[in-house]
Amino acid sequence: MAEKIIQNTQTDAPRQSEIAVLPLQNTTLFPETVVPLSVGRERSVKAVEFALSTEEKLICCITLKTPDVTGQEAKPTDFYEVGTIVNIKRMMRADGSMQLIVQGVDRVKVLNWAQEQPFVKAKVEVLPDLTISDNEEVEALKRNIQGLVQEALAMLPQVPPEIRMAVISQTNPVQLSYFLASVLDLGVETEQKMLEAATTDELLMLTHAALAKEVEIMQIRSKIATEAQGEMDKAQRDYVLRQQMKAIQKELGEDETGEKAEAAQLRERLDQADLPEDVRKEAERELRRMEQLPQAAPDYHVIRTYLEYVLDLPWKKSSEEKLDLNEAEKILDEDHYGLEDIKERILESLAVVKLRPDSKSPIMLFVGPPGVGKTSLGRSIARALGREFERMSLGGMRDEAELRGHRRTYVGAMPGRIIQSLRRAAVNNPVMMLDEIDKLGNDYRGDPASALLEILDPQQNNTFRDHYLDLPFDLSKVFFIATANQLGPIPPPLRDRMEIIQLAGYSDAEKLNIAKQYLIPRQIKENGLTEDQLEITDDAINLLTARYTREAGVRQVERTIGNLARKVALKVAQGLTEKVTITAKDVKSYLGAARFYPEEARQELPAGVATGMAWTEMGGEVLFIEATALPGGGGLTLTGQLGDVMKESAQAARSYLWSHASEFGINADAIKGNGVHLHVPAGAIPKDGPSAGVTMASALASLYTGRRVRSDTAMTGEITLSGLVFPVGGIKEKVLAAHRAGIRRIILPGRNEADTEDIPEDVRKELEIIPAKRVSDVLNAALESEITQPLPIENYNGATHSVSRAETGTNEPLIAKEN
Amino acid sequence: MAKSINRYFQFLASSKEVRLSSRLWYPSADVYQTPDGWLVKVELAGVSAEEIEIDIQGSQLYIAGCRRDKTCAVGGSYHQMEITYSRFEKSLEFPDVIDGASIEHNFDNGLLIIRLWKEDKTKP
Repeated sequence: MAEKIIQNTQTDAPRQSEIAVLPLQNTTLFPETVVPLSVGRERSVKAVEFALSTEEKLICCITLKTPDVTGQEAKPTDFYEVGTIVNIKRMMRADGSMQLIVQGVDRVKVLNWAQEQPFVKAKVEVLPDLTISDNEEVEALKRNIQGLVQEALAMLPQVPPEIRMAVISQTNPVQLSYFLASVLDLGVETEQKMLEAATTDELLMLTHAALAKEVEIMQIRSKIATEAQGEMDKAQRDYVLRQQMKAIQKELGEDETGEKAEAAQLRERLDQADLPEDVRKEAERELRRMEQLPQAAPDYHVIRTYLEYVLDLPWKKSSEEKLDLNEAEKILDEDHYGLEDIKERILESLAVVKLRPDSKSPIMLFVGPPGVGKTSLGRSIARALGREFERMSLGGMRDEAELRGHRRTYVGAMPGRIIQSLRRAAVNNPVMMLDEIDKLGNDYRGDPASALLEILDPQQNNTFRDHYLDLPFDLSKVFFIATANQLGPIPPPLRDRMEIIQLAGYSDAEKLNIAKQYLIPRQIKENGLTEDQLEITDDAINLLTARYTREAGVRQVERTIGNLARKVALKVAQGLTEKVTITAKDVKSYLGAARFYPEEARQELPAGVATGMAWTEMGGEVLFIEATALPGGGGLTLTGQLGDVMKESAQAARSYLWSHASEFGINADAIKGNGVHLHVPAGAIPKDGPSAGVTMASALASLYTGRRVRSDTAMTGEITLSGLVFPVGGIKEKVLAAHRAGIRRIILPGRNEADTEDIPEDVRKELEIIPAKRVSDVLNAALESEITQPLPIENYNGATHSVSRAETGTNEPLIAKEN
Repeated sequence: MAKSINRYFQFLASSKEVRLSSRLWYPSADVYQTPDGWLVKVELAGVSAEEIEIDIQGSQLYIAGCRRDKTCAVGGSYHQMEITYSRFEKSLEFPDVIDGASIEHNFDNGLLIIRLWKEDKTKP
């Protein structure tokens, strides 16, 4: 439109002219762009001054090829050949340098260099403007460039909208390219190439490539910036919230310590603590981690608890050994009546500890019925050794983690009971009692017994690793004592690690002494009475132990005495009486009717009934085995809640008698022709074990021979099919029970004879003890010689008649009938 | 034409203070409507009348020209330069078509005064 009238700018400058040259370092000027320049070097200043003295204020800006050469010393060869003529629009002087604002006008090519001093002058030729052809390639490139520009703008929210509009609406691709080239920091080489581009195509290609690269860089940068921003935002938010929380805590008065103070306290404790080197290292590491965490971090408290635990543990602290064996003996005697051999064994173990302080502590296992003083023995040992006593009950424990702790990864993880006990004890050599070790659970939920294997092995437990602590702790100084009611449920490897000490039940005489020496004084004290106010006679005590309690230990006796003491206390408190003496006659009026009648030896046992002895957790008991013939029936019926072992033992007894019938004067047909029912009362109590073998054999022999078993005789022992009598356990309890029941003759396996030494002297001297090696010994001792109740045998006619030794000849028809 | 669209802006907020083209000198102009036409005043001090081009296209008045520094002398030297000596271009958009209006212009104290008479009045 206006072109025809308006002079082209190019005509402002002659097509060829001599012009001052301003050397540019590190930058390139493009036509149409407005750029501020700072000019300081003498040659450049002169060039500008010269330009300013012309009417057109034009100067030629040419970029130097290398950045090391300054405009001052640049030779013509240092310049690129193509530059830009610019119009100087503004000029300010400041401190000897000039600030220019210039606008690019035309591209020029240097024809020759006119002068170098005092400023560079060159003869230049104006290059034609790039024309915009309408070919598709140019259009495509232009659109691509515009697209990239849009993308770039999208990433630059700070660019004002009107500028956006202007860039976007810039439809001339050449101008857009020049503009972009001067805006983007593309490096002199690229910029120069763009300036020199002879065709629009070439220029646009260069622009597109450069812009694409820039956009990519911007994308990456903005991505990084966004991510960093995100992190910053979260961190800032956390910080603000934490500060608010601090303020709230301060208001609530909860801010006494603060996280720094907490960590500092821990560090102080850590510095003072006496820790093994590896433990210290680990603790230091954790503490460093904690110091870096904010207090609100969940891990912070986990680490704090952990460190407190580590610092609380007695890594090197032991209580001082003050082991005087005489003193120890005195303490044991003071605390416990009787138990002579047990005390002796304990003292032996203590003696070893005294002689070799660095030796591995023995691990004792007290086995015995409840209430016999296992736990209190442990306490006495601790007292004798002058060590801390820690008791933990393993009863019902079924999770290995309870002993060994949980890993710290779990929420609420805690160390195991062993480490907890040590922390409570605050020394690393306490007496640790593992109560009820036979009641450890063992099922799919866990097997704590296996964890105990490590704990109780002196070879391994010096580096016991709790899961929570995950640091080795030396347990070898700990004096372990375990207790159990039964040996059976304890896994053999565990049993093997311990020195087993059996505590049998107490005899009545022992109970009397225990009651007099320990229980009555204790109950008097507990019920607020004085020694003068309550007296219980020996007869009364005997009555209590025999008729009001039934146990191997003395707990129930103590409770019963406590019961008496309370009733007396009531009377005393009411002022009804000053002093009460309880005799055997009075007991009934205090406690009511006797609760137990001892399994009295049955008088006049019928044939087929024998008295046996059983071991229970409560001590011993007598039991009766009843056998009866079932004429015409067959086989062996067993009742009374018998276990498999006991059933088999009954079968063995019958088979043995059958096979040796003649030897014992039994008519084999009597066995063949009759079924047998064997019953062991009381029917509600499960029974098992092989030790009733001899009793069952006696009962059957009695049944078949018609000779009664002596009612003053009780027996125990396992039998074999070849008629041997094998030893059994629990002799002491069994004999005591039999004695209580009024039995005076005891038949024992010969190999158990040694066990009779455990039986208190006063009991033993009242008993006749008969060792038996074979079943025949048992039967000879047990059966009366006289035949009182011949076994009825069914004859082939269906009528019954008695079979005795005299009638053994009449067996033919019976055999026929069997067939 | 291409060069005249230029507008001032900064792009990319880059460290380079680069601007597109000649916004630096874009002489101010007033436009009056008079009963018989238009009166346009343009601030064009120091521009000689011969250097000014005026053109009308449709409703657009186009003014262009060049200011040259006539006072500078060899040996002297600028201390400060704020006046732009270069070409300028300015387009003014009118609400009506002014094509065919007759033009008269003169300088008055550095202002270029352009009068436009509507066609019917100026063409008797």
